[in-house]
Amino acid sequence: MPSSDEETSLVLKRTVVIAIFAAVAVVLSIAESMIPINIQIPGAKLGLANIMILACLYFLRARDALMLVVLKTLLTAFIFGTFSSLLFSLFGSLFSFAVMALLMKLGRRRLSLIGISIAGGIAHNIGQLAAASIVFSTLNIFYYLPALLISGIATGILVGIAAKYLIPSLSRLALFDSFLKD
Amino acid sequence: MKRGDLLLITVIVAAALLLMVPRWVQNGQSSEKNHNNPLTAVIKVDGEVYKTVTLTKEEQTIEINTKRGDNLLKVHDYGIEMVDADCPDQICLTFGFKTNPGDTIVCLPHRVIVEIKGTGGEGGGTDAVI
Repeated sequence: MPSSDEETSLVLKRTVVIAIFAAVAVVLSIAESMIPINIQIPGAKLGLANIMILACLYFLRARDALMLVVLKTLLTAFIFGTFSSLLFSLFGSLFSFAVMALLMKLGRRRLSLIGISIAGGIAHNIGQLAAASIVFSTLNIFYYLPALLISGIATGILVGIAAKYLIPSLSRLALFDSFLKD
Repeated sequence: MKRGDLLLITVIVAAALLLMVPRWVQNGQSSEKNHNNPLTAVIKVDGEVYKTVTLTKEEQTIEINTKRGDNLLKVHDYGIEMVDADCPDQICLTFGFKTNPGDTIVCLPHRVIVEIKGTGGEGGGTDAVI
């Protein structure tokens, strides 16, 4: 009995953490959209919500993070009313998630969270450009890739540093104790 | 920061530079020709040509009305820019003023794309350079 009890509580904790992270990710997206910097690179953004996805990948399993990514993308589409571009953001988020989950699993010894966050940010850009080039059937959109690569490094470093500060703080909370076994 | 991070950053910067350098060379060559052969901008909605305009020095505005929303383009000084759009993300307005063949302006939510083409055989833009 105690083992099944423990299991139930773990599932419950996971669900709670995903829900909280999704809420924070959405709030971060909203806060980001209010920052009045007009970068002259189309499609470039800070990607603050990636902090939560990184933290989720760190504490929970990849499939939990996938749930978070889908939730976050759907919720932001609802809030910003960008349903017509949902396809593009979903493409970008899922590709970014795949790259980060893979690196988290395989490259953890060589890459820090900063490297993983850079790779994830750039994968997001590439995924969106790929979706756009499929829809418009032109490769000209990749014209903006170099600028996005450079800005992706800068924002990726910022997001990675933020995640590096967030994760140790969260680890001290009792809620995250059971996720730190491995 | 680990050594792998620095390696990753170096690789990405190198890739970005590799993609950018041939473009600088090409732009340097084409900017001289711009004034004798005016460029054209092809406006496509949903993959189909909506309108083709010549990029003149004189100002002209082009309204695009799609079933998803409206965009307003402005042509002046041999270039084109997106000046207004009612799309939710407004990313199309950040593309700025475009004057070179191969340049594009995209409005994803409205499925609008503006591509600048050179007259005659040149143009084709980035995919021509390898």
